[in-house]
Amino acid sequence: MSSPASRYTLRQSVALVWRTLRSMRTALVLLGLLALASAVGSLLPQIPNSPERVGAYLVDHPFWGQLFLRGGFFDVFGSWWFSLVTALLFVSLVACLIPRSRAMLRAIRQRPVQAKELEALPHHVAFEVAVPPEVAVERAQRVLRRRMYRVAAAPDGRGVAAEKGVLRETGSLTFHWAFLLLLIAVVIGKGTGYTGHATIVEGQTWTDAAFNYDGDLRTGRFSSGQHTGAGIHLIDFEDRFRTSGIPMDFASEVELLDANGNPVRRDEVRINHPVGFDGLRIFQYGFGWAPIVVVRGGGATLSDGPVVMVQDAGADGNQLAAPGEGFVKLPTLRPQYAISLELIPDSTAFIQSLISGVPQPMTQVRAPFMRYTLWQGRILDPSLNGLDTRLMHKVSTGIVGRGWTVDVEHGCVVSGTSGALPKGLARTVCPAGAPAPALTLSFPELRQYTRLQVSKDPTVPFVLGAAILILLGLVAAMYSSRRKVWVRAEAREEGTVLQVGGYALQRKDRFEEEFPKLVADLRAATGGGRREREREEAAAR
Amino acid sequence: MTAARLSSDLFNAALFAYIAAMVLSFAYLAFRKRPFHVAALTVGWIGVSANIGSIVARGVAAHRTPWGNMYEFSSLLACLVVLAYLVLVEGRYKVQTVGGFVFAFAIFTMALATSFFYVGPTDLLPALNSYWRQIHVTSMIVATSLLATGCVFTILYLVKVRSERREVSVLRSQDPPPILGGSVDADAPPDYVPGADEPVGAATSPAPRRGLPPSATLDRLAYRFIQFGFPIWTFGVMCGAIWAQQTWGRYWGWDPKETWSFITWVIFACYLHARATAGWRGTKAAGIALVGFVSLFVTYYAVNLWIAGLHTYAK
Ligand code: HEM
Repeated sequence: MSSPASRYTLRQSVALVWRTLRSMRTALVLLGLLALASAVGSLLPQIPNSPERVGAYLVDHPFWGQLFLRGGFFDVFGSWWFSLVTALLFVSLVACLIPRSRAMLRAIRQRPVQAKELEALPHHVAFEVAVPPEVAVERAQRVLRRRMYRVAAAPDGRGVAAEKGVLRETGSLTFHWAFLLLLIAVVIGKGTGYTGHATIVEGQTWTDAAFNYDGDLRTGRFSSGQHTGAGIHLIDFEDRFRTSGIPMDFASEVELLDANGNPVRRDEVRINHPVGFDGLRIFQYGFGWAPIVVVRGGGATLSDGPVVMVQDAGADGNQLAAPGEGFVKLPTLRPQYAISLELIPDSTAFIQSLISGVPQPMTQVRAPFMRYTLWQGRILDPSLNGLDTRLMHKVSTGIVGRGWTVDVEHGCVVSGTSGALPKGLARTVCPAGAPAPALTLSFPELRQYTRLQVSKDPTVPFVLGAAILILLGLVAAMYSSRRKVWVRAEAREEGTVLQVGGYALQRKDRFEEEFPKLVADLRAATGGGRREREREEAAAR
Repeated sequence: MTAARLSSDLFNAALFAYIAAMVLSFAYLAFRKRPFHVAALTVGWIGVSANIGSIVARGVAAHRTPWGNMYEFSSLLACLVVLAYLVLVEGRYKVQTVGGFVFAFAIFTMALATSFFYVGPTDLLPALNSYWRQIHVTSMIVATSLLATGCVFTILYLVKVRSERREVSVLRSQDPPPILGGSVDADAPPDYVPGADEPVGAATSPAPRRGLPPSATLDRLAYRFIQFGFPIWTFGVMCGAIWAQQTWGRYWGWDPKETWSFITWVIFACYLHARATAGWRGTKAAGIALVGFVSLFVTYYAVNLWIAGLHTYAK
């Protein structure tokens, strides 16, 4: 009891699969599937692009959400079935390209083949010429060569076979092979590369190592996990805005260091002007404020350095009008302390916002100050991205201007009473005879930080090269056409009669215009007469 | 009068001229009186001139190339579609009866632009100020207009194929019209396998004095436009990738606009294949082109309106 399927030998089954993969119909179906899968990927939220929207979806639609999650629908372009379709397309392409390429190589080596009955061809004329057959054939060859035809003379010397348009198949094959190359280059590049973001404060140096990224490092599937160790030192960050708050330009002036920390060169990373260094591409991504904050207590410096401030776009989406938020955590003290800070870089714009009720973008530094809140209790989360105050209580609040030192516990200013502070903001100076403060906070300097995107993708040049080949092949294939022309000269009593016949495999309407011109050239070269032209016209009809 | 004002006045003038040209073209299609055709062409050229003027004035008002947002894309799209029709279809292919449909498409695009996308001429974000962006956007609009025109002809082809089938069954007594392409191509050499280039359909109409051009003509026009548009689309997507590489540090990120431009590309590649595949040539291939048409519109409008992504700044 053998089913029909089991009657196939292994060899036959493989041949069958190969034949199926090789057919254009299969390619058609696979391309359709690719399009369909991509459409799904653009309609459902995707984990790599918007994980928070995926989370929201899972909460809103638990059943479908779980189903989609299991099926890989939230990461379509990284799912096994997307890879499967791509791989099948890949195999299918190879399967159809190999025989096509072989056939083309054969066709190129082959000389054009002679034809017998020129009268039967779609385009045909015959006319008398003034020269003997051998000369006419000789001249016809020259005319055809000048028109870029490949020509072959007939063995009897009385005919020419000519062909043009190898470019069509060459172009098509170039296109398909280049598409294959593109697929390979993209997979290798994304697979072995990585990309992430680096936050660097002015005056600081960042090193390319996995733990130095902002926690969003994305590494390819086949990555070795090695990083370059190259360094980026931020000398200065500059931003320019219009008065309306519309950004015009951002630039990070950097010094690039090799893996041993030796400076190599200076450069500028600007919007749309990435910098390449040591196999890395560095892009301007974001920026923000980083006040230098010094906390002292009990005669020791507890914390000294820049605090990276995050500006949250409010409900109106105006990020530049929002104050910067940052934290200083002092986990070594008993009880533990933390200070949350709110930076106003431009107090003039800030006051205007308060008066007008319309948030004003704060794009300049004008009398910067911070509102601080001192918390006491237990720090639950040591990271500096936020502060969990569930086990803490508020001790005091106050403001600290640039150049001031304040007593954080009592919320009063110890030194630095100079410096402008906008009207309407009170400044509480510590009473003269008060005991030395236990915990002080200073704000000596306001700096900026830059966020750079650092990526390594070793195959970008190959992807670009493949793309260029795709385009060239495509244009070559689409705008060339295969044409075949035959010429035969016969000696008759009246003289030599030249027969010309031909057809085009593509762009027939163009050939209809080209053929008469070719005939005119042949006629001119062989001295064809006027009387014959009439005959030819009759023949064409 | 300010340049911005001039721009919107000329926009309205172009819209009205297109409406008039559409009515005149349909009148010519119905009654075959030459004056209708001459008038339609004249008004069409006036409309295109106004449209070009509007785009230039907009560029002057905004101090930049005037294709920075959806309103501007749409205006340019309409302009290019009509221009492609007047220069290529009327001028080169000498097909005179299908203008009404092209004008209708341009009107639809412009009406969408004024009702949903209007914004004053303003500055662009710095990320948008790239050389590659200019090339990318320009070629995407040009390609969209060519592909869309091709799809308009595909629709007409399908309509005509149906009516030809009906007419053939009515006019049974006559000889059926010669069919181009397929296995009954009269002037094809014996070893010839029809490729994508070969038009499908009847070469002549059973009743040539009425209605649309024969289906083979419409099919050839559809194919020519899509064939012209496809490499430009390819080029445009590649320029977009170069721009994205420069600006966001990755040439491809499956952002919705990127995804849909890829989908559209794949569908039109399918169309080109289907045209060369036995059993798929003709109406099935035309069906794929229509799916491409829908995808074109999703890429062009829906992604901006409903699906968020990096490209949303171009709302
Ligand atoms: C199994 C795989 C494939 C086969 C057997 C195949 C075969 C062919 C053939 C024979 C042509 C010439 C059609 C004509 O007569 O004009 C062609 C054209 C074309 N193919 Fe493919 N192809 C395959 C895969 C692909 C893929 C994956 C793509 C891209 C997504 C693609 C895109 C194109 C395009 C755009 C053309 C039109 C260019 C031209 O007219 O020469 N093909 N293909």
